[in-house]
Amino acid sequence: MRPVGAWLIRLCGLFRKEHLERELSAEIESNLQLHIEDNLRAGMVPEEARRRALMKLGGVEQAKEAYRDRAWIPWIDSLFRDLRFGARMLRQNRGFTAAVVLSLALGIGASTAVFSILDTVFLRPLPYSDAGRLVWVSIRFPSFNTEFLPSPDYVAWRRDNHVFAQLAATQYGGGGTMILGGSDPAEIRAWSVSYNFPAAFGVRPELGRFFRPQEELPNARRTVLLTDHLWRDHFHANRKIIGDTIELAGQPYTVIGVLPPSFMLPMDVKADVLTTLPVSPTATDHGSAVMTWSAMGRLKPGVTLAQARANVATLFAASKADLSQMFGSDTSPVVEPLREHWVGNSHLLLSAVAAAAACFLLIACANVANLLLARLSTRSHELAIRAAIGAGRGRLSRQLLTEVALLALIGCAGGMAIATVALRGFVHFAASAIPRLDEVAVDGRVFGIAVLVSVLTALLFGVIPALRAGRVDVNAVLQKSARMGLAGRHGMLRRGLIAAEVALSVILLSGAALVLQTLWHLENDHLGFQPEHVLTISLPLRGTKFWNHSKALTQNLLPYLRRIPGTEAAAISECTPLTGGSLFETFTRSDRPLPEPWHRGDNIHVCNTGPDYLKAAGIPVIRGRSFTEQDFHHPGTLAVINQAAVRAYLADGDPIGKRIGGGRWGTWKTVIGIVADTKNHGLNHPAAPQMFVDNEVPDSTSLLFLVRSVADKAALTTVIRGHLHSLDPNLLARFKTLDQDIGRMTTGPRFDSVLFAAFAFVAFLMSVVGIYGVLSFSVAQRTQEIGIRIALGAEPRRVLEMISREGAVLLGVGIAAGLGASLALMRYLKSLLYDVRPNDPATYAAVIICLCIAAGIAIYVPARRASAVEPITALRHE
Amino acid sequence: MEKTSIWQGTLALMTLKTLDSMGPLHGYGIARRIEQTSGNVLSLNYGTLYPALLKLEQEGYIAPEWGVSDNNRKAKFYRLTRAGRKRAQQEYRDWELAISVLARFLPSKEEA
Repeated sequence: MRPVGAWLIRLCGLFRKEHLERELSAEIESNLQLHIEDNLRAGMVPEEARRRALMKLGGVEQAKEAYRDRAWIPWIDSLFRDLRFGARMLRQNRGFTAAVVLSLALGIGASTAVFSILDTVFLRPLPYSDAGRLVWVSIRFPSFNTEFLPSPDYVAWRRDNHVFAQLAATQYGGGGTMILGGSDPAEIRAWSVSYNFPAAFGVRPELGRFFRPQEELPNARRTVLLTDHLWRDHFHANRKIIGDTIELAGQPYTVIGVLPPSFMLPMDVKADVLTTLPVSPTATDHGSAVMTWSAMGRLKPGVTLAQARANVATLFAASKADLSQMFGSDTSPVVEPLREHWVGNSHLLLSAVAAAAACFLLIACANVANLLLARLSTRSHELAIRAAIGAGRGRLSRQLLTEVALLALIGCAGGMAIATVALRGFVHFAASAIPRLDEVAVDGRVFGIAVLVSVLTALLFGVIPALRAGRVDVNAVLQKSARMGLAGRHGMLRRGLIAAEVALSVILLSGAALVLQTLWHLENDHLGFQPEHVLTISLPLRGTKFWNHSKALTQNLLPYLRRIPGTEAAAISECTPLTGGSLFETFTRSDRPLPEPWHRGDNIHVCNTGPDYLKAAGIPVIRGRSFTEQDFHHPGTLAVINQAAVRAYLADGDPIGKRIGGGRWGTWKTVIGIVADTKNHGLNHPAAPQMFVDNEVPDSTSLLFLVRSVADKAALTTVIRGHLHSLDPNLLARFKTLDQDIGRMTTGPRFDSVLFAAFAFVAFLMSVVGIYGVLSFSVAQRTQEIGIRIALGAEPRRVLEMISREGAVLLGVGIAAGLGASLALMRYLKSLLYDVRPNDPATYAAVIICLCIAAGIAIYVPARRASAVEPITALRHE
Repeated sequence: MEKTSIWQGTLALMTLKTLDSMGPLHGYGIARRIEQTSGNVLSLNYGTLYPALLKLEQEGYIAPEWGVSDNNRKAKFYRLTRAGRKRAQQEYRDWELAISVLARFLPSKEEA
């Protein structure tokens, strides 16, 4: 047998059917003639000869039919017919088609996009070899709201553990910027790691080698690993770079290797080079400088997470015994799979979005089911007629199946398009908020599942009921009086679907309303300062001639900034109104005993500022006064505090004149003023206690200036850049406006709310359309009954009431169920919300009122139509 | 055995064998030849031959060609292709085997 070739020929046969038909007729005819001639020769009379030959041939039509079955593929033929017919039906019912296709496309698209993201972020293994064995190791300090591993403990743990094949340390948080010197200076990001970091991640150098153990010692020769992109972009992929010396932050570093292009730094750290942390094997003493590091380890083969936790607990106990003040009773060691740590906080957001998407897919499916049921009911007549004139059940179901498949196909195509666009948008807006998002692509399996769910729904509600109906009673359906039979049978189902849709929309709408309120609060809450027209300039000094001469730069730059036309105020400072300052220390006051060393809690941000800072930042003074030029003759002696500090630590009596921030933390500072709170701890947190000190910022690795100016930002930037270049070409400044900072901080919440709102709005529309559909369908079905009622004297008002009641019951049941579910579910959203409680009654009231108004219209229109039914028309109505 | 019945699947073999021994033939000729060869035990419904021929043609075992018959009539002749010849031999061997196996189960004339 050669089935494939034969199939191909048969497929081609479809396109030359006429030729084949003619050929067959000619062949049969010629053979018939041959036969007749033979018969004649055998002595028959012509008529007899022909009759015998025809008899022998058998039924010509049957022969031709059998031939056709073989010549091409007949069911493809009828499939095309079904498709053409289906397409015509769909074109005729544009509203229905659009509604089903849109529901399918939105449902499939949105859920595919969201679940593809979840899959990438949560389920896909990290891009390292044997990534399941990588763990995050640290100590949680709840009082600082952070976790890190102090450097002495890292050294001790690395030495003493017996569960990690490698325990690598990295700089806490992301990398810092450095100036890459040479003929083409650039600002690059460097991340410091322990020597064994590449080994822990199982990565091999693309070029050269990785760090050697002795290279992480504090006085070792400085070495650097380049990332692939820096090596390509900046060093033109020069393979001879290995062994060369480059200048980083004014220091010579030897290039020892290049990381492979596939290597992705953990925790979404962006860095261009890796340098070594100064890991001193003897620095296990907490008395010496303690650095805050992060640690990531690779478990030894066969070691379980539980074993690792037990071992780390022992190590932690030893650390604690060494310095109990540092590790209070609330601190605890953390050993968790690196992936969990990496994904971290976005867990909640993504779960919420996933739940919303699932709700949405359900609503879409309910909608599709409803539309299809309604459509079937109106077509029961047509189907019954077709059955009556001989269409078999198989034929009918094939026809219906083709139509549903056509709908599903268009819906899926739309869904794919929506998923692609939605993912692009998601990656664009949320790439910074959610880890590993740049790896996301439309996931085939996820798409498959969404398609499966919706297509199954379509089949379940579009074909099966029709078949059952078709089988049961052709006769009953054909009799006019039985026209309601089908509607009645699916009535409960359809009503249930609508109530469920309403309930799901209530959930989505309330979620969206809560998140939108949060966004509103974030964007419109009193920031405590005027962010408009403030430009911040940050200047990394390493590698420039102002390294160790920051005073000279300040003295040059500040008068220059103040001279620029449009400048209202310019100041040097360690903080902006959106940050706390460089120091975070224990609050002390001279009229109270000093807290013990390593005391935790009672913290206050300390921000050293130069003159005019408060003016430049636009922070209003509530009481007392701000710093004057004269105050800076005795720097570090005065303090201005924010209201949060007053509330937290100085609520007893007048804070002005109190002396604070002294003792172990330097000289006492006299409080001279109180200023408004600013969002110094994130937009979604209340202001943290903060004090500003009159100190023109000591020598530091970088300087920060604030300029309040009415001048155009771009022009201002250009002018200042030019000036800085003339001072030292190696000075690379970063310019930002406070508005930009705020914008960046609200990106996440804005994204959440747009996403939720979009889901909720479309879901809301779908359910309102659903209510409308069910009621108008019900009215259409009951036209006759209503006509009789009116003819018998029912007032139109009563009819209106009757239909409205039907809708109101659906609405009421849906809202009640949705409300209950929302109240139960929304508390999980708590940490996405700010300044609004998850059970905020006003929000729910607003949601319900909105829904009721829209649904009211959807109910009123068909009800009104019912009450306007003319008895005569209604009774004639088919 | 009923005169009209043709065992499933044997029509193709008979067609191929007929073309193998007779050379190119038209449909009517093939049908007649099969009947004659069977000693008129088989009686074909000639119409059933066309789908069978078409199938063989699609599978590439026979090739059709319009030609002129002995008595000067235009007719569609079928010629065995190389693949068809191989196929005929293959089928023939298969049947031979099947028959020889079956023969062991049936009483031979001598025994009976």
